[in-house]
Amino acid sequence: MNLIIEELKQMQGKLEEGYFPQWVVTDPEIYKLEQEKVFSKTWLFLAHESELKESGSYITRMMVDDPILLMKNRKGEIKAFLNSCSHRGTRLCTEDYGNKKAHTCPYHGWTFNLDGELIGIVAGNKVYGEKMDKSEWGLRPVPRVESYQGMIFGNLDPNAMSLEDYLGDMKFYFDIMLGRSDGGMEVRGVPQRWIAKANWKMTAENFAADPYHVQTTHRSATEMKLTPSDPLYASYGHQVVLQNGHGINVITSATGASANKYQGMPEDMWTMFERNLNEKQVEIFSKVTNFVGGVFPNLSFLSSCSGSEGVRHNHLNWRVWRPIGPEKIEIWVWYMIDKALPEEYKEKSYKGFLATFGAAGTLEQDDTENWARIIEASSGTMSRDRTLSYNNMANYLMGFDNVEIDETFPGPGEAYPTCYTDHIARSMHKYWLELMTKESGGEG
Amino acid sequence: MQGQMQLSLQEEITQFYYREAYLLDHRNYREWLDLLAEDITYVMPLRVTVENKMGSNVNQEMTYFSDTKKDIAMKVERLYMKSAWVDDPAPRQRHFISNVMVEQTGAPDEYKVISYFLFKRSRSSEANTEEIFGEREDLLRKVDGDWKVASRTVYADQSVLTVMNLAMFL
Ligand code: FES
Ligand SMILES: [Fe+2]
Repeated sequence: MNLIIEELKQMQGKLEEGYFPQWVVTDPEIYKLEQEKVFSKTWLFLAHESELKESGSYITRMMVDDPILLMKNRKGEIKAFLNSCSHRGTRLCTEDYGNKKAHTCPYHGWTFNLDGELIGIVAGNKVYGEKMDKSEWGLRPVPRVESYQGMIFGNLDPNAMSLEDYLGDMKFYFDIMLGRSDGGMEVRGVPQRWIAKANWKMTAENFAADPYHVQTTHRSATEMKLTPSDPLYASYGHQVVLQNGHGINVITSATGASANKYQGMPEDMWTMFERNLNEKQVEIFSKVTNFVGGVFPNLSFLSSCSGSEGVRHNHLNWRVWRPIGPEKIEIWVWYMIDKALPEEYKEKSYKGFLATFGAAGTLEQDDTENWARIIEASSGTMSRDRTLSYNNMANYLMGFDNVEIDETFPGPGEAYPTCYTDHIARSMHKYWLELMTKESGGEG
Repeated sequence: MQGQMQLSLQEEITQFYYREAYLLDHRNYREWLDLLAEDITYVMPLRVTVENKMGSNVNQEMTYFSDTKKDIAMKVERLYMKSAWVDDPAPRQRHFISNVMVEQTGAPDEYKVISYFLFKRSRSSEANTEEIFGEREDLLRKVDGDWKVASRTVYADQSVLTVMNLAMFL
């Protein structure tokens, strides 16, 4: 491990120049180190509060390999625990979701309430002595659970900075996507889930940092005349670099505005948006065509407009790229919609989402293909050569010395006046490298 | 007599499914499209893991797709484009259709048909193969002597799909 960290430290300078070695993408040792240094230290998305409606509602999630049980207690608070019985470690809840007052372990029958407390032991008085103190054997809580705009995150590091600090200026953009409507947003049904051959860093980068791929990967959409043929169409707008490896692309159009004000949402909602958002947020939101970005490490989002016949409907989807190995991910996609929208609009928006993204979406299908091809070509001796004799560097030179910050952009963050640039990608990988080479222990 | 008629109907429908699978597996998507009724609803809800007391382990609120014929036609046309990377180079695919159960409906020319499916796909020179399996609930309709799929609901058995995408038709 130390050797790997030394090697990574040597990369620092290279990365700042716009090079990222191909071997780190899928290297198994790197993957182990990522679990310890990245996924155990950063805020990981667990659920949206609308997924847990009433007291007793529960859902199960994964924080990489840790099964997590989220429950809504009687007071309406949502708590998250390791989904493992404190007796012998059995997975307590095997369902995706449901509702119950207490969870009983199928092995020996211990029972836990909605606050994770151990409330029932089979034959307790008869078989346990004084040493057994029930209050010490509750479910183990996720060390930190915090939420912003209904988005619940967990962190395994008790010393981590607060979620709000971690999100930093991303909060400004979360407000637009999640806080624009009275009543907020709701998840429709449950997330889609499927397995893809991909590395989580590359899928995260694809959403957070890479509108450049759109024209080629999604060329079929252009051929079908669903998207413009101008090869620069996904570049218009701003790529905004945020703290802690986060980033967002605010895509507009050649004119700097969108043909569908407020992403094509009904006009009678506009005054509500203007009331819920500040002036700068309104300015950005009124002109945006697509928001696409990511919260480091593995939460991504896309808010876009789809539809034919000239009528376009906004849809918002969130996805977690849960790593299940250096070369494999489980994709979770949540579809979310403003509660305040009329049912008819919601239905059209949902159809637009299904047609484009998610496992069957035509755009997403071609993405999965390219992610797999990265894996296929990144596992051999030549692509993993550490001596760099082949210059085994992936290219992150776009916008390196030819794009300057646009100070006139109204939103926070470092905004570059094009989305065809590698600024976010460089910043993500830089933050990744910082975490990977950070000494363990001490202040997180 | 009645029994014999039933058997030939069963045989006819099974043959229809085999032909459908053949067209899909050989990427004759346009011909396959002709097997679908104009008013088809083609839906794939999510399979979920929930307690038996919930009654159903299918979540109808979220689907993987929820298509009309127009939506399907668009997907079909896309797969003929050279830039639909998911199908070019083409993966090899097989639909195994079995356990066909035909049920009468109120309408004389319409039958409810349950069938099991196993879909296997091999892409590139990869040793691992992808698969998805489950059952389909169809409404088949006879229109001018030809069978048409009037509706199809696909229930995969996996709650986490072990296919990279759902570019195939099931
Ligand atoms: S392991 Fe859960 S009660 Fe024994
Ligand atoms: Fe894409």
